[in-house]
Amino acid sequence: MKRPRRMFGLLALLIVLAMIAAACSDSSDDTTTTTGGDETATTSGGEETTTTAAMSGEGFTFGMILVGPENDHGWSQAHFEAGKYIEELTGATMISLDTVNPADRPETSVEQVVDDMIEQGASLIFATSDDMKDGIEAAAAAHPDVPMIWSSGDSAWAEGDGYRPDLPNLGNIMGKMIYGKMFAGCAAALTSETGKIAYLGPLINDETLRLVNSVYLGARYCWEGAGNDPAELGLEVNWIGFWFNIPGVTLDPTEVTNAFYDGGADVVISGIDTTEALVVAGQRAAAGEDVWAIPFDFVGGCSEAPEVCLGVPYFNWGPSYLGVVESILAGDYTTEFQWLGPDWSDINNPDTSMIGWVAGDALTDDASATVDTLITGLGDGSINLFVGPLTFQDGTPYLADGEVATDAQIWYTKQLLEGVEGASSAG
Amino acid sequence: MGLATHDIRKHFGTIRANDGISFTIESGSLHGILGENGAGKSTLMKILSGFYEADSGEVDLDGETLDLRSPADAIKVGIGMLHQDPLVFLPFTVLDNFVLGSPGPQRLDRSDARAELERVSGELGFRFDSERLARDLTVGERQQLEITRLMWLGAKVLIFDEPTTGISATQRDQLFLTLRSLAENGLIVLFVSHKLEEVEELCDSVTVIRQGKVVFEAAMPITSEVLVEKMFGKVFVEEDRDPAPFGAPVLELSRVTIEEGTTHIEDLSLSCAAGEVVGLAGLEGSGQRTLLRACAGLLAPSSGLLSVDGNNLNKASYRDHLAAGVHYLPAGRLEEGLVEGISIAEHLVLTSEDTGFFINWDAADEAARQEIDDYSIKGRPSSPAEALSGGNQQRLLLAMIPDEVRLLLLEHPTRGLDVGSAAYVWQRLLERRSDGTSIVFSSADLDELLRYSDRIVVFFAGDVFAMRNVGETDGEELGHLIGGKVRG
Amino acid sequence: MRVAAPTLVALSVALAFGVVLLILAGAPPFEALWLLVLGSFGSASKMAATLLAWSPLLLASAGLVITFSAGLWNIGVEGQIVVGAIVATWVARSLPGPVWVILPATIIAGAIGGLIWALLAGVLKTYGGVHEIFGGLGLDFVAAGLVVYLVLGPWQRTGQASTSGTNIFREEAWMPEFETFGTAWPVIPVALGLVSVFAVWLLLRGTRFGLRLKAVGRNPQSSFLLGIPTNRYMLGAFAIGGALAGIAGTVQVTAFHHKLVPAISGGYGFLGILVVLLAGFSAVWIAPIALFFVAISVGSTQLDLRLGLDSAFGGVFQGIIVLFVMIGGAWSASRGSFSQAVREEP
Repeated sequence: MKRPRRMFGLLALLIVLAMIAAACSDSSDDTTTTTGGDETATTSGGEETTTTAAMSGEGFTFGMILVGPENDHGWSQAHFEAGKYIEELTGATMISLDTVNPADRPETSVEQVVDDMIEQGASLIFATSDDMKDGIEAAAAAHPDVPMIWSSGDSAWAEGDGYRPDLPNLGNIMGKMIYGKMFAGCAAALTSETGKIAYLGPLINDETLRLVNSVYLGARYCWEGAGNDPAELGLEVNWIGFWFNIPGVTLDPTEVTNAFYDGGADVVISGIDTTEALVVAGQRAAAGEDVWAIPFDFVGGCSEAPEVCLGVPYFNWGPSYLGVVESILAGDYTTEFQWLGPDWSDINNPDTSMIGWVAGDALTDDASATVDTLITGLGDGSINLFVGPLTFQDGTPYLADGEVATDAQIWYTKQLLEGVEGASSAG
Repeated sequence: MGLATHDIRKHFGTIRANDGISFTIESGSLHGILGENGAGKSTLMKILSGFYEADSGEVDLDGETLDLRSPADAIKVGIGMLHQDPLVFLPFTVLDNFVLGSPGPQRLDRSDARAELERVSGELGFRFDSERLARDLTVGERQQLEITRLMWLGAKVLIFDEPTTGISATQRDQLFLTLRSLAENGLIVLFVSHKLEEVEELCDSVTVIRQGKVVFEAAMPITSEVLVEKMFGKVFVEEDRDPAPFGAPVLELSRVTIEEGTTHIEDLSLSCAAGEVVGLAGLEGSGQRTLLRACAGLLAPSSGLLSVDGNNLNKASYRDHLAAGVHYLPAGRLEEGLVEGISIAEHLVLTSEDTGFFINWDAADEAARQEIDDYSIKGRPSSPAEALSGGNQQRLLLAMIPDEVRLLLLEHPTRGLDVGSAAYVWQRLLERRSDGTSIVFSSADLDELLRYSDRIVVFFAGDVFAMRNVGETDGEELGHLIGGKVRG
Repeated sequence: MRVAAPTLVALSVALAFGVVLLILAGAPPFEALWLLVLGSFGSASKMAATLLAWSPLLLASAGLVITFSAGLWNIGVEGQIVVGAIVATWVARSLPGPVWVILPATIIAGAIGGLIWALLAGVLKTYGGVHEIFGGLGLDFVAAGLVVYLVLGPWQRTGQASTSGTNIFREEAWMPEFETFGTAWPVIPVALGLVSVFAVWLLLRGTRFGLRLKAVGRNPQSSFLLGIPTNRYMLGAFAIGGALAGIAGTVQVTAFHHKLVPAISGGYGFLGILVVLLAGFSAVWIAPIALFFVAISVGSTQLDLRLGLDSAFGGVFQGIIVLFVMIGGAWSASRGSFSQAVREEP
């Protein structure tokens, strides 16, 4: 996702026409982010990609299709930097095209972009958004000899609902952001003085529901660990309706965040592409309130208001993408569905870990140490939060006592957990 | 010593608003500037006060030639103007208004300013609460504030443009006292008006302007008969009339009340028979347009009965009026009559009775050529309306009147036309009259009113002031009536 | 032709300006311009892509010529495309049957959707006194909200709701393409676009309805006094403009995306307004100008792919063209020729 810069740009142009002024400037650093889908889940220790002396990829070309601007400080930039990482380590060449979406490039389809990239010599294509599903599946069918990766998709997952056995060249990679969200929930619970945490949600789907549930599980674990009564922990979700603010269409994330704080919440965790939650927290803290926020997606996410930032969970696509390139170069590539967790030995290792967590300035050392304990426990398997008994909001059982969730049970989440306040479905 | 102008000229497009105006006014005099609407007096005053720059000519004050490029220039040399609506900032206090527009970049201390306000207003005999909001002042008090401010700025010439509009009789009397004392103190006071009565009462001398030229200058008193004649020019003589026989009544108004803005036509009963011509006289905005619009169906009477050929049209729409044979020709030919960018042929297609979906352009051009011949329009079928002169636009509008019309409502049908075009327009209109169409028209031209009307309705201040059969009145009386004065 | 002269001058200046920008961006300017051409017309598939993007822009622009003729700023055109797309999607998803049933049904559905949305703006203007710019803008937002709601709510795709849109339509609901020269040609969309442009030209040039519409647009006061029911004509203009915009929406869903996506309008409505302004409100010029605009959009992808230029370059270039043409227009209007030319065009 990304903001439909072009449409608003045209409107603005119309409005300003009369003012015959300066030439248009490129607004490419209007921050936007992009999340196509995110990830998460427990289990599956995940195949870690090992990077040691990468093999030479001189002469190898791959295509990178981004949904938002390549410098969006978020989802798309994370992918773009993964491509740069591969170029650096292997000498391969990246052809990238950003803002591939119906708002910014209404006349361009993913299939056309893939055709162009292959024509230019690309022998591997990354399509890096949930939005590109139909396009990349059509392109994969049209070019059965070219391996492609659809990030955040489930088309290569034999147990998945969207399995496409007829597309043997299309693989999937996703990160288990469920862990990142558990860390965020834990940090929030340890910091909150009111026991009320809020989640600024985008739109409702399986992915976003599982992330909210992960926040809740992480928060409850640390809340109880600190000796509190779980009944006194509140997690409230409000969905704005899209990945970012569209005036008149979505709820205004700034207003939603303010309403959270006005309602007694003191930590807001952002699930949207943009940074309103952190900005509002910074403003209110400057006015003397004790409030905090947790941004999303991007390793540098805290920079807009570090003094109220408890930390940020982020994606690191480099190692997994590099693994694909290397296996193609080595001739042993097989199409697979990869849902990768962090490198538990060092979750912030840029060469090995898919998911990272940077503690923020506002997180106390004690709390940070507790989060680290959670990380260690999840890493060595001594802690598993997706384990029963867990019940959905409507009272139906999710996991029986002692039952450990499968990846499929986590990926295809249809409801919020009991204890979370907010809508599980639109309307 | 005094104010003098030499050969001031100013034109707007083809209209010569000031066509070589020269006059001299001595210091210490209270001087009236008279003229009908559109005579050019407002333009002249705006030139004197720096709002307009003259095309040529010069203005001298106390023997020095002035270079007036803006109102600020005029105030600097001592010429100040009070507009009909005093230029007062309503949300501000009296003191703020006083200080605003004070000369020079230096900021004035508020207490100094208050002292100045009190001193100057005291000299003039005014009293202000300096902290009151301007919006709470009456129009008369706002005038006083403006006078005070201009005097403080060192005005030597004060121009009053229709200053008695919208103020009470008491305020008017007080204003007149002020004006006299200003003149007695050596100022030049220019009093611009079309109200004969006030000029007679107040002024020492008078200049009459007509069609952009000075036609008369004299010291008062002058009889109003003379002034009327000077203002309106040669007045018509009975022998020029050529009436047609009347038929049955077409337009009938019975105790009709019409309200629009400040216009309030009360309880008017009037009828206009087939072949009859009713003229509407009065200063611009006195209610003539309102009456015409009501007859055309553009404005519903609030009470009374309005009918055409016996059909009640009280609540009928404009299009119903059209269907009933009413045709309205407003004054703004390009604003309300014709469409810019649309050709003569297209205009005639728009008003033709053919209703086919596709237009046969060959036939349309041919028809247009015929009308162009018929009405002596100077233009081609493809000429856009705005390329035509005023007279040719009016001819086109005449050509667009449907054949079957019962009632023609015309607003200033010959305004801005040269004598030939005006005569031609009336020739065509009178042909309609002979066919049994009744005509109601408004005009500012007494000669036109007296020459073509069978009856004249005089409007003053938003209501019908008098009605006269044409044989029973003359230009002099009409001139008085238009100014709101009954002769005798 | 009169429109063409100042426009051509302005285009040349804009082109020169674009070359300077390219040099500043460190790109080889002539290679870049050549890539623009190759990227939009360099192969059969590129040509097909350009023509497919041209069609909705033509439809929207043709409708806008009508509303501009009636003196209306139909800013609501975006929403009309969206609602046309929504109604066409509804038909495509729910109507059974073969292509020859669904194709006309989706076209009519799109037209009806756009028409209704435009009439809302029209009624707000004529009976509610809401200026069509504000009414239209408001309705644009409502339509944008509606499409997001449908895509993420009732019409969410199988599996999970996603901003990637609804499920792909079954193939009977795709606008048929014609395969030849190794690619699929969007014959029907292009035909719809060209026919609508011709129809609009004919309507304004040769019919009583068109002439009255022009009169209403240029002077509603005079037109009313001449006996033209001005409100009805304005509503008529809205209806035609909205119906054409709605068909543009049908093309977007059934010929391009084959599903409904949140940004379904593609911005072709606002782009259409620019096209019509550049064309001097003339139906004759919108086809080439629209083609030029989409060629830049389609071709500029290559600048990005092959030269690594910023993705915004195509849009910046379009913006420069519009600005220069407008400046050129203002300049020659001040010399009295342009306004005349604008008026004279049918």
